[in-house]
Amino acid sequence: MASHDRLTTNTLTRAELVAPVPLRPIPLLRVNGLSVSYGPNEVVTNAEFELGRGESLALIGESGSGKSTIARAVLRLLPSSGHATGRVAFDGQEVLGISERGFRPLRGRAIGFVPQDPAHALNPVRTIGAQAHEAAALLDEPDRAVRKRLILETFAEVGLDNARRVYDSYPHQLSGGMLQRVLIGLAILPRPTLLVADEPTSALDVTIQKRILDLLTRLQHDLKISLLLITHDLAIAAERANALVVLKDGIIQEAGRTASVFAAPASAYARKLRADVPALNPDRYAALRDTGIRALKTGAGATPKIKVSAVTKTFTVDGKTLTAVDDLSFTVPAGTTHALVGESGSGKTTAVRLLLGLEQPDTGTISVADEQITGRSPDELRSVWRHLQLVYQNPFTSLDPTWTVEHLVREPLDRFGIGTRKERDERVREALADVGLGEHLLSRKPQALSGGQRQRVAIARSLVLKPDVIVLDEPTSALDVSVQADIVEVLLSLQVNLGLTYVFVSHDLALVRQLAHTVSVIQRGRIVEHGAVTEIFDNPRQPYTRSLLASIPSGVAGAAHLPHPRLRQLATAD
Amino acid sequence: MRGAYLSYAAKRLTQAIVVILLTYVFTFVVVSILPGDPITNVLRDPQNGFTEDEIKAIVAAQGLDQPIPVQLWTSLSHFVTGDLGLSMRSNRPVTTLIAEVLPSTLILASAAFVIALLLAVTIGYGTQFLPKRFGQGLLRGLPSLFLSVPNFVIGLALIHIFGFQLGLFRVIAPNSFWATLFAAVALGIPVSARIAEVLIANLDNESEQEYAAVARGRGLGQMRLFAKHLLKPSSLPVVTVIALAIGELLGGSLITETVFGRTGIGSLVQRSVSTQDLPVLQAVVSLAAVVFVLVNLIADLVYPLLDPRVKLIGGPKYRPTTADDSSTATSQAVTS
Repeated sequence: MASHDRLTTNTLTRAELVAPVPLRPIPLLRVNGLSVSYGPNEVVTNAEFELGRGESLALIGESGSGKSTIARAVLRLLPSSGHATGRVAFDGQEVLGISERGFRPLRGRAIGFVPQDPAHALNPVRTIGAQAHEAAALLDEPDRAVRKRLILETFAEVGLDNARRVYDSYPHQLSGGMLQRVLIGLAILPRPTLLVADEPTSALDVTIQKRILDLLTRLQHDLKISLLLITHDLAIAAERANALVVLKDGIIQEAGRTASVFAAPASAYARKLRADVPALNPDRYAALRDTGIRALKTGAGATPKIKVSAVTKTFTVDGKTLTAVDDLSFTVPAGTTHALVGESGSGKTTAVRLLLGLEQPDTGTISVADEQITGRSPDELRSVWRHLQLVYQNPFTSLDPTWTVEHLVREPLDRFGIGTRKERDERVREALADVGLGEHLLSRKPQALSGGQRQRVAIARSLVLKPDVIVLDEPTSALDVSVQADIVEVLLSLQVNLGLTYVFVSHDLALVRQLAHTVSVIQRGRIVEHGAVTEIFDNPRQPYTRSLLASIPSGVAGAAHLPHPRLRQLATAD
Repeated sequence: MRGAYLSYAAKRLTQAIVVILLTYVFTFVVVSILPGDPITNVLRDPQNGFTEDEIKAIVAAQGLDQPIPVQLWTSLSHFVTGDLGLSMRSNRPVTTLIAEVLPSTLILASAAFVIALLLAVTIGYGTQFLPKRFGQGLLRGLPSLFLSVPNFVIGLALIHIFGFQLGLFRVIAPNSFWATLFAAVALGIPVSARIAEVLIANLDNESEQEYAAVARGRGLGQMRLFAKHLLKPSSLPVVTVIALAIGELLGGSLITETVFGRTGIGSLVQRSVSTQDLPVLQAVVSLAAVVFVLVNLIADLVYPLLDPRVKLIGGPKYRPTTADDSSTATSQAVTS
């Protein structure tokens, strides 16, 4: 793959993307002065870029930057309130101004679309096969049996093992990774010349993300498809695209060949984006992270705050016994962060529920701050929960939308009946200040907050009781990379200032590398490897750990290992 | 899967039969404990001129001197075999009386049902694809308008315009094709409004789903997008509404039959109520119960066929496959 990539970049024209040279072949896609507005709000302003044949271009930006809107405008799939002006030329032909009737022959046949969330991109009440036939209908093939054979062949081509079973399945019977393969298959089936992929992996696990991206890259080369990739992850973009376009608030900040933009970003925003990617900056928070450890070593000594020993939990599903957590043991010294790492279904969530006492294990014991968690009723656990709090994965669903920020943060104090009214008000303001939120947000409701602000509120809510231990269940997986960086910084300074102990659950190893001290890698409910983060990351012994590490996007095409010395250099130069 | 469906269907069918029998018992008991004795009232009506001995003989022959539970048992066992007894007025079997008028009502109701469905789907399609400048908003207001006009008013208006003014049908021949059609339209319009309201709300929701955009990106035209993608998921809640709307069709057909001067179940009920013809009323109530239960049974049986995500109680459950790769998206798919 690596040699293939280099070969392509070398043989292609080196001409500057933004400054057209006369007598150049017509680019496959050319966007000029594209502006998109929803009602009176302009969300994309004067976007310009070109995508050559067989090339790949990535649109990068945070949510709200307008990157998906540009993709939708090119696909002419904007919602009815959206209005696009400017010029979009596909293969030399203007397509923005023409009628839907004139554009329809291009849909699917010439321009394929791979959407963001595979779970909602297929009709839930029709079989995969029935929907695949819609894509197959675009081929000029009159015989249905032949079309079916082509569908099954395409499924095999995108790496679906049992193509026949997939064909007969309904969407809810397949996993997210399989559905994304199906969607890619349906998009490439009519052999389009342009594929628009709108965050094709943001709803998927890291390991599956890598496989899906590898598939897209391979298909792009094998079938000579041009790829317009939309992503918020600069590392992914740099790894997969020949050219980058960096967007902020609907305005292009920077554009050019990947090598130049990535190595030496000219705009401040692109530099910030690069600095925020955990994979590229493994030691960004090293100073903060290690302060905690140093204080610990000079202090009373590393007494374990959390002790989990030989915990096993089984569930019975449809008469079958499923071991969710199998002989799990780890300890976490006070003031440090322990990461639980694994794919979906590895037992991380069950481990969290056991740790919080929401679920009782079959065998084994758990204690937090010398208080036994196991074998106690919820009533008896109330006193423990004052010191043991949870920050939930998704701040878009974990906060009651009808409550104000003040009410949300204050609720735990009311529940535990702590302090006088005045003291509680004081404590709420303190907790908000700790997470860097101003008092002017007190009367807001979650809807009026950004994703990052919401997660800060969720953290403040857990801080308000002054706990010793906070369990962080993928606290940034629903957030953009740049917002994630802010949250990580908040979490680390809180740890330093308040001496908090964290259990950090994640499937994102790059993030774990940035902020955790010790790590347990979990596969099918068992710990396969554990130890200090630096040690595990530099010398992984288990193949499972290696495959997890290899799936971290590195920003370098074909590169599989981290940390890359030169990239580290670049990152610290900021 | 097939086995699960069959065992589910068998279970639902058993439940339906139990409900019908319970309804019969309930009506019977209610009629028995009502004050007054309509049967002897009829027999003692001087116009009929029965002597006391004759009355006693008839009562004994009909088993009316038996205790209520025994009467119920006799009546129920007759009902199960399809024997609904004799009309007290005409002395003819109730089944015959119903059989005479049922086809007319069935034709009217089913025509009205088809019209309601067509109308609702057409309105639904229009609200999705009719350009705003061609009155999409007007179309969206149509169901509320239909609902707020009583169906006898619609019926009278149709008779006036198409019967008297345009002369499309003759009011004195209520069973002709055109007369039946317009009666069905009058009956179907309010029913279509209920279906259309739910259908529009669901179409709006479904057309905003990501899969609709992806399907358009696949090159599907409006018609196919509507027919293949939007209609089926949108009609899931509609199935429940339709089951309820059938009740409205039954009730509405009594009024429509009167307005259009048709003979049918409506006119039979009217006659039986005014003459206190209990066996006929008991039969009609049981018939209504049977129709309701059947329609709901059909809805229950159709639902799993329309929505593969429905878990059938009693059968093996679906489990999302975790082969190859799994992801959080799976759990989203399962829970949403």
